[in-house]
Amino acid sequence: MSNPIKVDIWSDVQCPWCYIGKRKFEAGAAEFGGEVEVEYHSFELSPDTPVDFDGTPVDYLSQRKGLPIAQVEQMLERVTGIAKDVGLDYDYDHVHQTNTVISHELIHFAKSKGRQLEMKERLLKAYFVNGEHVGRIPDLVAIAVELGYDEAEVAEALESHRFLADVKADVALAQEYGIQGVPFFVIDGKYGVSGAQEAAAFANVLAQVASEREAN
Amino acid sequence: MDAATTPLTIIGSPDAAACEGDFCEIPEHHEQAVVNRRLDSDLV
Repeated sequence: MSNPIKVDIWSDVQCPWCYIGKRKFEAGAAEFGGEVEVEYHSFELSPDTPVDFDGTPVDYLSQRKGLPIAQVEQMLERVTGIAKDVGLDYDYDHVHQTNTVISHELIHFAKSKGRQLEMKERLLKAYFVNGEHVGRIPDLVAIAVELGYDEAEVAEALESHRFLADVKADVALAQEYGIQGVPFFVIDGKYGVSGAQEAAAFANVLAQVASEREAN
Repeated sequence: MDAATTPLTIIGSPDAAACEGDFCEIPEHHEQAVVNRRLDSDLV
């Protein structure tokens, strides 16, 4: 009987290391070669960000952190370079800094249809690569429709905030675990792995869990 | 999942990049990797 290793991943849609970490985890899981079941969980890095933040990510970080514009630009350039190494073309010139809570609701909506992983990938790509807005309901509905969902059903789910409680439950569970940063991976319910680790690190922990299961 | 009854064993590199709050730090080894790549590409 199949018994995949469960991997619970806490992540935010506007977290650059989460998308990079996703690619590294996927490479590590492929290197491991065994059966893995992934479930994403919501994490809001900046829940007080307005949906229509008036400015670029550079403005946002500069204002919030009091950093000079040139320093922020340099930071984002470096992250963009690291993303490129894992095949992701981040386009910070067109990123819409926003509040991601409704995008998390959409991920939960997709999960209720058994299609969570597809939506998670699509929203990360929307934010970092495509320059799409992931904070406004009409933009999110358009993305869902593109994936084949029923427009009225998605709009109703997002406008009624039917999945908001699920988002908040994920955030609360993260707090129970003591998770302060993302991405954060919980492997088989017992090992915690923080950050965008190298692929080999993920492969190693998955192999360790597999070998522990064999021993038991 | 019941986090209250399953404390996690933390493994992996403590230097892996992560976002905390509204800030995403770039660890030193990543900085060096970027510099190395630029050197390889004759950009520096």
